[in-house]
Amino acid sequence: MEALRDAFDFRDFSKAERIGLVLFTIFLLIFPWLGAGSFVKVVVIQFLLFSLFGMGWNTIGGYGGQVELGKAQYVGLGAYTVSLMMVWWSIPFWVSMPIGVGIAVGYSFIIGYPLFRLKGHYFAIATICTSLVLQDIFINWKLVGAAKGIELPIREHPDFLYMQFKSDTYYFYFIMALFYTAIFYMNWFRKSKLGYQLRMIKDDEEAAESLGIDARWCKIKAYSIASAFVAVGGGFLAVYNLYIDPYSVMDLDLSIKIALMAMLGGAGSMWGPIIGAAFLVPLDRFLGSWLGGQKGLIGIDFMIYSALIMVVSAYQPRGFWGIIEQFRRKSA
Amino acid sequence: MIVIDAVLQGILMGLLFALVALGLTIIFGVMNIVNFAHGEFLMVGMYTAYWTSLLLHVDPLITLPASVAVGMLLGLASYYWLVKYLLRGPMVAQLFGTFGLMLFLRYLAQFLFGTDYRIVQKGLLVGKTLSLGLFRFDWTKTAAAMLSLLAFLFVHYLLHRTKLGKALRATALNKEAASYMGIRTERMNALAWAIGGGTVGVAGGLLVNFWYVYPTVGLLFVMIAFASVALGGFGSIQGAFFAGVLIGIIEMLFPVFGHLIGSDFLGPHFKFTVVYFAYFVIVVLRPQGLFGWKH
Repeated sequence: MEALRDAFDFRDFSKAERIGLVLFTIFLLIFPWLGAGSFVKVVVIQFLLFSLFGMGWNTIGGYGGQVELGKAQYVGLGAYTVSLMMVWWSIPFWVSMPIGVGIAVGYSFIIGYPLFRLKGHYFAIATICTSLVLQDIFINWKLVGAAKGIELPIREHPDFLYMQFKSDTYYFYFIMALFYTAIFYMNWFRKSKLGYQLRMIKDDEEAAESLGIDARWCKIKAYSIASAFVAVGGGFLAVYNLYIDPYSVMDLDLSIKIALMAMLGGAGSMWGPIIGAAFLVPLDRFLGSWLGGQKGLIGIDFMIYSALIMVVSAYQPRGFWGIIEQFRRKSA
Repeated sequence: MIVIDAVLQGILMGLLFALVALGLTIIFGVMNIVNFAHGEFLMVGMYTAYWTSLLLHVDPLITLPASVAVGMLLGLASYYWLVKYLLRGPMVAQLFGTFGLMLFLRYLAQFLFGTDYRIVQKGLLVGKTLSLGLFRFDWTKTAAAMLSLLAFLFVHYLLHRTKLGKALRATALNKEAASYMGIRTERMNALAWAIGGGTVGVAGGLLVNFWYVYPTVGLLFVMIAFASVALGGFGSIQGAFFAGVLIGIIEMLFPVFGHLIGSDFLGPHFKFTVVYFAYFVIVVLRPQGLFGWKH
């Protein structure tokens, strides 16, 4: 009960933040009726999805301060579980998605146990390695479609059980529901015991251990929470795109994007991942469609994107949220 | 027989891996920063050799100095324009900063040269083989291995026999103490990036003789370099050398092994997966690497 109260309690945020959240919620609720084009709808759905990923990453990467660059493997596990169960046994989404999350969490414990013996750069590179190994296995594994990927069978009629709809609006509300679940969860998480323990570990691991905190076990727990988040997102990705392959759901680029959005927005803050996704997803998409499509300009969208990454990491490592807080402190 | 052949081929390839890893380990040793853009430095070295040899109609082996120069300039530019500022921030910012550099170089290459796979078609050594008894080696690979060994020896000499190298090693050991002794550590950082860029430039110039160059070629090599550096111990130069060679051997021996036991699953498509897996196992079991001296 207390956990629920904590989750819905936003009193310790400033007034501006609370008003912002309410306005944002209203905007999202009426968004499908604003007459936006299908492209904009796709961008907003992507934004919500990446915010979900980013909030997941934020548990281990932001609050825990561990540079984790292998989240794509859990997106893949979630997406593959949903797709394969649908293709092989036509199991509904609502059954296969929790199983996918369970597999991702179980796998994250197996991987996390040796992984969290490592720190710093070693850890960061090791997470990339585990993700690449899993991707290579899926690329070559004929049973799960190998490099060709899997197409999900399309139902004749829109079907809630299998999460197949004709209009993007339904997907939009579904991902929005997931997004708000994540927000409430994170609001609880940052005030939970684990949340405090993680922040202490981030500041000074030795001091935390001397106070009796089992740092490794805390990190493993946070890592599996993060994995559960992205596995849910992965399941959504499968039913939304109706097609997955190892390159689209397990690629290193995806892992990097997840961590990057959270980092650029402001790791370890409540709104950071959302701000990061709100900024980078549209930037990525619009630059891609304006510049990427034109002849002779291939790659220029990513150049702008990466230049921005370099500038922000050089001048304000705490991301956009860090800039906002700096500004706020000056004016106060 | 086939095993010995694989081992010898692996050593040739491994010498080149070691040269790629050398720059990474020097930069890490001196300033404790992992350069994600290292593979892209290699790609730039490869493109430099490719274009200069194509446009000047000379053998890519002659254009090696151009690759070195471009690599060094790139290293210096990265240090003075980016890494210097990143050093003030936390580790996350350093990781993402060099990561941004990696993406930038990769897509710059894509923008300038497109996504075509390119390889040097004509050259003194291209397509010729060297027969030694029962073994046959590609001349390009043999020459690349020899020259990378030479480059390695040169860097070793530079670090261990010159005053400059001594200053660099002192900076790596203890930055503050080195600066008390009048060593300009800032310059030593820049030097580390110049050596790092230069050596990987050589590696790129050698590699393009027998490996396709395309904008994303760096990822594979940077992962191999990470594995070599981790295996050898971060910051250890001898470590990087032996680990690079070892990884070359593993990479060549693995498909042979799969072939011998008749398993389809252990085919050549997994030869680099094994490298990633090896990295994971090594750092978990022995985080300081085989020759490591610092964490």
